[in-house]
Amino acid sequence: MSRRFWSNVLAVAYREARIVRHDRAFLGVVLMQPIMMLVIFGLVLSNKPANVPWAVLDRSADTVARRLVAEVQATGYFRPPRAIASYDQARDLLQRGQALAVLVVPEDFRRDVERGRPRVQLLLDGSDPLSAARVGAYVAEVAGGFATRLVPAGTRHAAPRLPGPIDVRQRFWFNPTLSDRIFFLAAFAGMLLTNLCLSVTSGGLVGEREMGTYEQMLALPTTPLEIVLGKLVPYVVVSYGLLLFAVLSSGLAFGVWPHGSWPALFAITLPFVLASLAIGVLVSVLAQTTAQSVFITVFFIMPSFVLSGVMYPYQFMPRGVRDLGGLFPLRWYQIALRRIVERGAGFAEVLGPALALGGLFALLLVLIRWRMKPRLG
Amino acid sequence: MSWRRLRTLVVREVRATLRDPFTMTILITVPLVALVLFGFVLATDVKHLALGVHDASGTAASRRLIADLGASGTFDPRPYATRAALERALVAGTISAALVIPPDFDRDLNGGEPPQVQVIYDGGEAPLAGNAEAFIRSLLARSGASLAPRVAPPVAPPAAAPPGGVEVVTRALFNPRLEGKPFMVAGTFGFVLSFLTTIITAVSIVNERLTGTFDQLQVTPATSGEILLGKLLPLGAVFALDVVLMMLVAGFVLGVWPQGNALLFIAISSGYVFFSLALGLYFSATSSTAAEAVQKTVLFSIPLVQLSGFAFPTRNMPFVFRWLAEAFPATHYIRVSRAIYLRAAGPEALAWELTVLALSGVVFVALALRTIGART
Repeated sequence: MSRRFWSNVLAVAYREARIVRHDRAFLGVVLMQPIMMLVIFGLVLSNKPANVPWAVLDRSADTVARRLVAEVQATGYFRPPRAIASYDQARDLLQRGQALAVLVVPEDFRRDVERGRPRVQLLLDGSDPLSAARVGAYVAEVAGGFATRLVPAGTRHAAPRLPGPIDVRQRFWFNPTLSDRIFFLAAFAGMLLTNLCLSVTSGGLVGEREMGTYEQMLALPTTPLEIVLGKLVPYVVVSYGLLLFAVLSSGLAFGVWPHGSWPALFAITLPFVLASLAIGVLVSVLAQTTAQSVFITVFFIMPSFVLSGVMYPYQFMPRGVRDLGGLFPLRWYQIALRRIVERGAGFAEVLGPALALGGLFALLLVLIRWRMKPRLG
Repeated sequence: MSWRRLRTLVVREVRATLRDPFTMTILITVPLVALVLFGFVLATDVKHLALGVHDASGTAASRRLIADLGASGTFDPRPYATRAALERALVAGTISAALVIPPDFDRDLNGGEPPQVQVIYDGGEAPLAGNAEAFIRSLLARSGASLAPRVAPPVAPPAAAPPGGVEVVTRALFNPRLEGKPFMVAGTFGFVLSFLTTIITAVSIVNERLTGTFDQLQVTPATSGEILLGKLLPLGAVFALDVVLMMLVAGFVLGVWPQGNALLFIAISSGYVFFSLALGLYFSATSSTAAEAVQKTVLFSIPLVQLSGFAFPTRNMPFVFRWLAEAFPATHYIRVSRAIYLRAAGPEALAWELTVLALSGVVFVALALRTIGART
């Protein structure tokens, strides 16, 4: 690596930086997307059921049943319930999607309460399985702890608690309220950088080839490797800018600050950015037209969001799909981000993901070098 | 409107599309790959989750408890010798939950006290921790019950039970085992048909603009309506075919068949495809380069994926965004798709959603027509 090499790289970098400043599409990625995504992931998305529409089919018309309904309502997850009169109506509401759950109180509920074995039925709309499972759990929890007879406050403690077989003491570390916001924002930087690194570089080389400027550069005393590296340098700088934006905005707006080591956070970002940029370059080398490179990029970004674990935990996925996700740099980066931001890790804990990212980068470089011969066409 | 001119335009578009094998590949592979990937991603059950175990008791009872937890296939227990090592593993993220069995576990079990165990969850993966909790609780309750009869007498008769507790018998309609697949499959139709249609037309028109053929089209006697239909009909046919293809793959590969009327679903989807294509036309007609058209489509597709209820229910969103989500036709199409696919809903149950879809379609087509005309 002579001094010539680096001065060539920097010259190409300077040229790239001059061009990209005027690129409206690029400015859209850098300025608009981050803000949109911050709002969406910080404010909008949540797995926690809210405003759940539900209905009550109360055949007992008993005060105890009404109290049970009020207690379910008091959890705050539900809208005011709709009173309905028949099973047909219940089915119809569920089918139209106008109710997610229907609570059915049987006629002899009163008698069952007196015998000590009260039962209610909960019909759920299984077409939305995640919400249905959670809503079912909420109702079961409220009902399980429901006092069918109002006990005077003083005597309530005296009631013998049945000793459960095992007393489970549980705690949630790192995110005690299991807030989805923390889950999303911890990996926010990963989403922004994936979008940036892939979309800016992928069109780059094809575009130059289409316009003929690539041939011009090859005619200069620069090697293809120098051109590629030079084109990447400005985006590494922009990437760090976006990383800062991601960390500061989630901290200032939503109070989600990294608990772990900041130097480790900045260090692990470098191999990730390099690997992502390299993917963009590879796409650019493989594609014949700008349109093709655009398609490949877009359809690479989508699965990398879904399979990497930034939106759903990757541990949920079946084995094969889970392993497939390991091919995406975002998988390893989001693992590292969660460790540093949520769990307060330092350099030692992110060594594994760093090695994986380095390995991916090396592999990509070999592929690029192999595909990229100085072709004039 | 001249049928002869329209036919010429359609033939031209079909030839142009067929000549480009890359676009055809995209049109066929992307929907199918998306379907299979998304179909497998969402699961409500947990499998082979790494569970760190620190067994300070080291007795037969504690070992049986751990074996019980591992037997279900939900958890893969990994032993840790010290509590500190266990906590480090939790920070490093190598385990998703940790079980600590105290030294006096066996003594408590035999002494009739409820033996205590501690479970720590990695809240860093919030959705995972929420589901893992439910599984560990039920597994421990079952396992504990099988350990207990050795010492504790059976549960006291109901008369002595404390006042309280209503049993809830839960029944999930339409999807009794609460599987994630049908939910995601029905949603993927909305995702693919909204996103792929828009981006394909956007790029195709911008490319024509770059090569100059679009300007040539505009100076022919063809009206904007004919140009629009000439573009949309062939692509619309390809996507209608895509819908059928996706339904077959969903059925044979993922085992998800529509519960409702399949023909109704195909009809509604074809209409929806047509409108989305018109939107793509609008995006591309207002962009000067392919990159810009794509950028617009992608910018539009972020809220489309996130706000349309494809992945996260719209009702969980804050007030303003719930209304914003209602403004996306994709939101309504995905609702219709899930209603037909999972709940076997008929047209009468979908009247409102279909009205919204039709109205937004009219708006898109009008927008596209105006931009084509304005460019002449």
